[in-house]
Amino acid sequence: MARITAGIAASHVPAIGAAIDLGRTGEDYWKPMFAGFDWTKRWIAEAKPDVVILVYNDHASAFDMRIIPTFAIGCAESFKPADEGWGPRPVPDVIGHPDLAWHLAQSLILDEFDMTMINEMDVDHGLTVPLSLMFGQPEAWPVKVVPLAVNVVTYPPPSGNRCWALGEAIARAVASYPEDLNVQVWGTGGMSHQLQGPRAGLINAEWDNRFLDGMIGDGDALRHIPHIEYLRETGSEGIELVMWLIMRGALGRRTRALHRHYHVPASNTAVGHLVLEPVS
Amino acid sequence: MTVPKDIHEYLAEFDDIPGTRVYTAKRARAGYHLNQFCMSLMKAENRERWKADERAYLDEWPLTDEQKEAVLARDYNRLLDLGGNIYFLAKIFSTDGLSFVQAVGTMTGMSAEDYQAMMVAGGRSPEGVRSIRANHAGADGGDRKESN
Repeated sequence: MARITAGIAASHVPAIGAAIDLGRTGEDYWKPMFAGFDWTKRWIAEAKPDVVILVYNDHASAFDMRIIPTFAIGCAESFKPADEGWGPRPVPDVIGHPDLAWHLAQSLILDEFDMTMINEMDVDHGLTVPLSLMFGQPEAWPVKVVPLAVNVVTYPPPSGNRCWALGEAIARAVASYPEDLNVQVWGTGGMSHQLQGPRAGLINAEWDNRFLDGMIGDGDALRHIPHIEYLRETGSEGIELVMWLIMRGALGRRTRALHRHYHVPASNTAVGHLVLEPVS
Repeated sequence: MTVPKDIHEYLAEFDDIPGTRVYTAKRARAGYHLNQFCMSLMKAENRERWKADERAYLDEWPLTDEQKEAVLARDYNRLLDLGGNIYFLAKIFSTDGLSFVQAVGTMTGMSAEDYQAMMVAGGRSPEGVRSIRANHAGADGGDRKESN
């Protein structure tokens, strides 16, 4: 049977992708940000997941204003890096796992989560930057990926509680997949950042670190944080953190932290990173 | 389970955040064509036509005159007011060769250097910019200046 062995949380700032692609990770500005991922790179080379269910949001790349799915699952054989206005990132195509993706979609719908299925889409920095952070610059990504896109752009995004519950349903669906697969769930985006208006540049390290604390152990207070709190405390784009709760929900009642990293800034954003393990 | 939310109360709270335009349905509807115009700049051939004659390219889109003027002026705060969303507006500033940190800084009234320096120093503190109401009541500490 397939099993969820770990969860990873990581920010997905486009400038991080650019720094990797342009070979600037050794610059003073970037060094401490990337250093926090060294441990994870070593760990994941040993952990060798077969598939990552990668929770991210599209930033007006695959989805424009014509179609706004709340939860969309990528069922394609492969996904190309999107041209976000400056040409696609020079990274490998992302290879999907259509069997698992369709199994998840079917199981989740029976479990009353009405997923949108996507058979063709490009994936933007929201999905490819976390892959680059964990795996560097390989010829081909060493994992298959089931993209799970969440609307966190047009209000209302799903509630934190709904995201957590979706994670719990994902855990049930993975557990009923017959093939023996080592599955990780990644929650990406965040942490505090605001990219718009006179309040742009907001960072709230204290709140972010409380959120990191809340991801660890058996507490579930995070699922009840209302949207307005994310907006006030973490900036308008900090709302992306609800996506971390899908990962957290998928790990079950209790988690243990294997690794933790927090750094300000990457461009306009506070970078947070966790590697969590479910504790049964 | 959580209690069902009242959508009117939910939305009303968003207007209480200083210097922030939450991308609600109202804004999304007002900005539909503006944002779709931005999306068109994802294609290299459209970027070329846009760069060759911005006004002519814009006139192919059913934007309001106000929206067109704000696009031409790269007035991003105005564009947010007129229904633009930052991830869509990013297509304009990316085409101009600006990074997020450069373009976002223009909305704060700070110079690019000052904004970048603020970010490197840890970003903008949430103190005093959480709530317009609280600022009026003097309960949020920080300065009382309202930046919305």
